[in-house]
Amino acid sequence: MAVRQFSGRLSWRPNIAGLVTMAICGLVWEMAIQVGVFDYQYLPAPSAIIRGAGELAASGELITATLHTLESVFLGWAIAVAAGVSFGLLLGSSPLLRRYSLATIEVLRPMPAIAFVPVALLLFGFSIQTELMVIVLPSLWPVLINTMGGLMGVHARLGEVGRTFRLSRAAILYKVFLPAATPAIMVGVRISLTLAVVLAVLAEMVGNPEGLGYAVVSQQQALRPDLMFVYVMVIGLLGLALNALLVGVVSVSFPAASAEFKGPRW
Amino acid sequence: MAGGETTGQQQRDFVFSCRSVSLKLPYQGGNRWILADISLDIRRGELFTIVGPSGTGKTTLIRVLGGLTPCSSGSVRINGQEITGPPEGVVIVFQDYSHALLQWRTVFLNVALGIEGRVAASELRSQVLGVLRLVGLEKNADDYPWQLSGGMQQRVQIARALAVKPAVLLMDEPFAALDAMTKASLQDELLRVKQETGCSIVFITHDIEEAVYLGDRIAVINGTPGRIERTFDVTLPKPRDQIITRQLTEFLKFRYAVHQAIGGMTRWP
Repeated sequence: MAVRQFSGRLSWRPNIAGLVTMAICGLVWEMAIQVGVFDYQYLPAPSAIIRGAGELAASGELITATLHTLESVFLGWAIAVAAGVSFGLLLGSSPLLRRYSLATIEVLRPMPAIAFVPVALLLFGFSIQTELMVIVLPSLWPVLINTMGGLMGVHARLGEVGRTFRLSRAAILYKVFLPAATPAIMVGVRISLTLAVVLAVLAEMVGNPEGLGYAVVSQQQALRPDLMFVYVMVIGLLGLALNALLVGVVSVSFPAASAEFKGPRW
Repeated sequence: MAGGETTGQQQRDFVFSCRSVSLKLPYQGGNRWILADISLDIRRGELFTIVGPSGTGKTTLIRVLGGLTPCSSGSVRINGQEITGPPEGVVIVFQDYSHALLQWRTVFLNVALGIEGRVAASELRSQVLGVLRLVGLEKNADDYPWQLSGGMQQRVQIARALAVKPAVLLMDEPFAALDAMTKASLQDELLRVKQETGCSIVFITHDIEEAVYLGDRIAVINGTPGRIERTFDVTLPKPRDQIITRQLTEFLKFRYAVHQAIGGMTRWP
C-alpha cells in the first residue's frame, strides 16, 4: 500500500547550482540550433520560444487557456479529494464495507484514464464535464487508498485512549484517527494533484477542445512549434507551481503533522 | 449468585468488585483462557498493586476494569454497577506512552483531550496548567511529546488522566519502560499525586519491589490463565521513602513473601 509519511517541504533559498544547470541546457540548445547541429524543421530555438511566449501573453490566449486548465484541475481535484477522503474514511473504519467493496475497487483502480475519454465524450460531449470525468475517476484512487490505509495504520492504542476518556465515536474519529492519518492522506492528496494536471491536459488534447492541452495540439496543427513549446512549458510550470503551492499550504496548516517527523526523537 | 452480592456497606467501601471473573480470547481457531476465576475487591482510596510475571493476564485484567474488554463470565462492578464500557471517572494510563500520546498535539492539548468541550475555556486552561504543575511539566506545555524524554512523556500521560479528576486511575505497568532513576522519582511523584488528589489507583507491575513500595495492598497474579494467588495488606509506614522504606526489615519480608507467592525464580510456566 502506498502509505508513506508526508515529508514535502518548501525552501525559499534559490538553488543556484540547479538554475545554472538549467541555463546551460538552454544555452546548449540555443547554440546547437544556431550552429546547425540540430537541424529539424520544426524544432524552435529557446529564443524563438521566448518570443512566442511574449506574443501569446500579449494576445491573451495564454491566460485564457491557462485559466481554463486551472479551473478543470481544481474542480476535478477538489471532487476527487472530497470523494476520496469520504469513501476512504468509510472504508478505513468499517471492515464490513471493505469486504464488500475492495474487490470492485481493485478492478476499477488500474483502468487507464485514457479509456474514459470516449465514454465521457459520448456522455457529455465537448464540455468541462468530459474533462472532469477523465480527471476525477483516476485521481480519486490515491486519495481513497491512502486515506483508508492511513486510518487502518493508526495504532489501536490511540482508539483506546479515546475510549478511556469516554469520547464519542465521532469525536474519536475526528480528534484522534483523522489527525493521526493526516500525513498519509496528504500523500494521496499530492499524488492526486499531479495526476489531475496530467489528466486535464490529456482530456483537452483528445476530448474537450479548450485549455492548454488543446492549445498544444492546435499549435502543432498550425505548424507553429514555437507557440506549441510555449504551451508545453507552461503545462510543466503549472504542475510545478501547483505542487509547491500545496506543499506550502500543508506546512502552514498542519505544522505539527509535518513537524512530527522532522525533529529527531530523543 | 450465593455469596456473590455485595451489600450496601461494601459498595461504599469498594470501588471495584470482581466475582469469579474469567475471560477467554479467540486464539488460533479456538479459545484461550486468559483469566480464571478472579475475585477481588478494591477499596476506595487505596493504591492496589497487582504483581505477576508476564503472560499472566495482568494487562487484560486492567482492560476489564477499564471497560475496554468485556469478561466472558463472572461479574465486574464499579460502585455496584455492572461494567459495560469505559466507566465514568476511570482512566487507564497505558504502558506505551509513545503510542498513547497524540504526537501532533502539544503537551497542553494532549492533557486537554479528556476535558476539552466539556468545561469552559478558562477552566480548561487552569485545570490543564494545574495538573501539569502537579507532575512538574508546567514549563513544557507548548512542547510536542517527541521533544520530551520517556519519563516526561509518561508524566504527560498521567497529567492527561488526572485532568479529568478521575476517581480511579488504572495504571498498566506505567514505569516499566523507564530507567531505574526515572522510575524511582515517578514512583514518589505518584504517591504525592495520590496524596493530593485522593483518587484510588490500581497499579499493575511485574516489579515486586515496586509493588511493595507503592502498594497499600498487593495482589499476586500467576499462571496461565491468570489467577489471584494471594493478597497482602502492606503495613509499611507512610510516607514511603526510597531509601528508608526499602531498608526496613518489613519491606524485605513483604518482598520475600511476594516472591514466594509468585514461586521465586525457579518456577517457569
